[in-house]
Amino acid sequence: MFKKLSIALAFTMATSFAAYADDLVFTSWGGTTQDAQKEAWADPYTKASGINVLQDGPTDYGKLKAMVDSGNVSWDVVDVEYDFAIAAAKAGLLEPIDFAIVDKKEIDPRFVTDHAVGSFYYSFVLGYNKDVLKEEPKSWADLFDTAKFAGKRTFYKWSAPGVLEIALLADGVAPDKLYPLDLDRAFAKLDTIKKDIIWWGGGAESQQFLASGEAPLGMFWNGRIFAIQQTGGNVAASWNQNLTAADVLVVPKGARNKEAAMKFLATATSADGQAVLATRSGYAPININAKTRMDAAVVASLPDAHSEGQINLDMGYWAQHRDEIAKRWYDWQAK
Amino acid sequence: MVTATADIREPFRWTGMGYAVPALLLLAFFFVLPVLALLLRSITEPELGLQNYAELFATSTYARVLFNTFLVAGVVTLFSLLLGFPVAWLLAIMPQRWARIVFAVILLSMWTNLLARTYAWMVLLQRTGVINKMLMATGLVSEPLPLVNNLTGVTIGMVYIMLPFIILPLHATLRAIDPAILNAAALCGAGRWQIFRRVLVPLSAPGAAAGALMVFVMSLGYFVTPSLLGGTANMMLAGMIAQLIQSLLNWGLGGAAAFILLTVTLAIYALQLRYFSGAAGTAGGR
Repeated sequence: MFKKLSIALAFTMATSFAAYADDLVFTSWGGTTQDAQKEAWADPYTKASGINVLQDGPTDYGKLKAMVDSGNVSWDVVDVEYDFAIAAAKAGLLEPIDFAIVDKKEIDPRFVTDHAVGSFYYSFVLGYNKDVLKEEPKSWADLFDTAKFAGKRTFYKWSAPGVLEIALLADGVAPDKLYPLDLDRAFAKLDTIKKDIIWWGGGAESQQFLASGEAPLGMFWNGRIFAIQQTGGNVAASWNQNLTAADVLVVPKGARNKEAAMKFLATATSADGQAVLATRSGYAPININAKTRMDAAVVASLPDAHSEGQINLDMGYWAQHRDEIAKRWYDWQAK
Repeated sequence: MVTATADIREPFRWTGMGYAVPALLLLAFFFVLPVLALLLRSITEPELGLQNYAELFATSTYARVLFNTFLVAGVVTLFSLLLGFPVAWLLAIMPQRWARIVFAVILLSMWTNLLARTYAWMVLLQRTGVINKMLMATGLVSEPLPLVNNLTGVTIGMVYIMLPFIILPLHATLRAIDPAILNAAALCGAGRWQIFRRVLVPLSAPGAAAGALMVFVMSLGYFVTPSLLGGTANMMLAGMIAQLIQSLLNWGLGGAAAFILLTVTLAIYALQLRYFSGAAGTAGGR
């Protein structure tokens, strides 16, 4: 009964923790990434403006929609996935970005739209545990080769850009022929290893699967491989055909502190803000001048250093087909 | 005299009501209203009508999730009963002093954080976990057993969580049974199995039914354990509702699924009121 009560509550009411009128509420995905965002953006922003930044999370698209629908928006700046931002802008859930305050010239044009600015960008890479595997997997095709690489492989659980593209690349589709996605072919390829897949729902879980050897190989956010290596784990990544995607920052329609939110975005996308975040998280900066302010060793570990053969996931395509793919994805998973 | 008792009773009853008002208001505002709002969304989004319910029943995935939900709840109830009965019996016959310690252990596990307990099972059950490592080391198995991310994992995790809810009511009915009845059965020549089957089981049935229903109903709406210990093929209704609302932003369909879950739960509860609650009260007197 308690379970039901809390579910009904959580889903029906847009939670609105009353923030003081002057406070800014920043929502992200928690964990080490949000800690880094706080240090890189919120702390300097508070110091410069005197506006207190409250941290909330994790990002929840259902909540965001509920807030905008009910006109009671308690989040001012939200870190979301890029394809969601494009779909949400189309659905009228987002405020347009004020480029009089945010400097568009410094932002990599791949990661800026009328309603969103980049937060950071990352690559999906093939990660593997060197203690368990005798041979190094080199391509996405190896991820589907259970004869050569025994054991479970782990993939991102949710319907999002990445897994379907990997299946198609492994099946021999040329990178420039990926879109529009051949869903039948992608699911057929995934069917060949479905019983060997364990799904990771969040970054921490993916680290646990890989480091423990539960799944000695799989697809990962590059920052998570970096994080395991930092703590001494014997893991490595193949950057062959790494797939870039981005998180972006958005302001929900009807946010209480719109102007303060735009100023926060200016801080977050600045060269300094991006340099500190990238150094702390292992994800790449979206500000084109950030790298000049970073340690050369860190720059070498970022997705930018592996641009050869790199493939940009097509967020425009995903935003357009998000719902139909999601439906098919979850149907397939539940089978 | 008759009027006097009536006079005392009447105002007393209403005074009692007054104290309950805060709790009732809390439930009305934070449970009944939101549930009604969700129900409303299920028949108004995207347009007025029952299309969300039609879609739920027509799509094979949702039908499978519904089937899964009942399957898991049924299996969990069965195993909870099988494992809980001996414990309840032990508690009923062992000296009070010892029983209190066993009770403390059971309650302590109930009071420990659900997430912590579920993650602990994850660590124990996974392929590289303690149990599989032990089995491999002793040579009992050559391949790690698939104990998690499937129905096995969900069942183990949930039975463990549900056990107290079946032990407590069972224990209450078992304790209320007069030991003289069992002695009488033995004196009349009944063997141990016969005593168990023809005396103990019928007498404890009301407690078992109450506990089993509680476990079944709680299992129907479970979210955390199935999502952590189950695979994507073991999705239950609560997990699907979360997915519909959080990932697909489909409040209409999510609301419909939530309402179906609520209806089933209430129906089972009504069944319990109708057939079992009265019997549970008289169990000791029989």
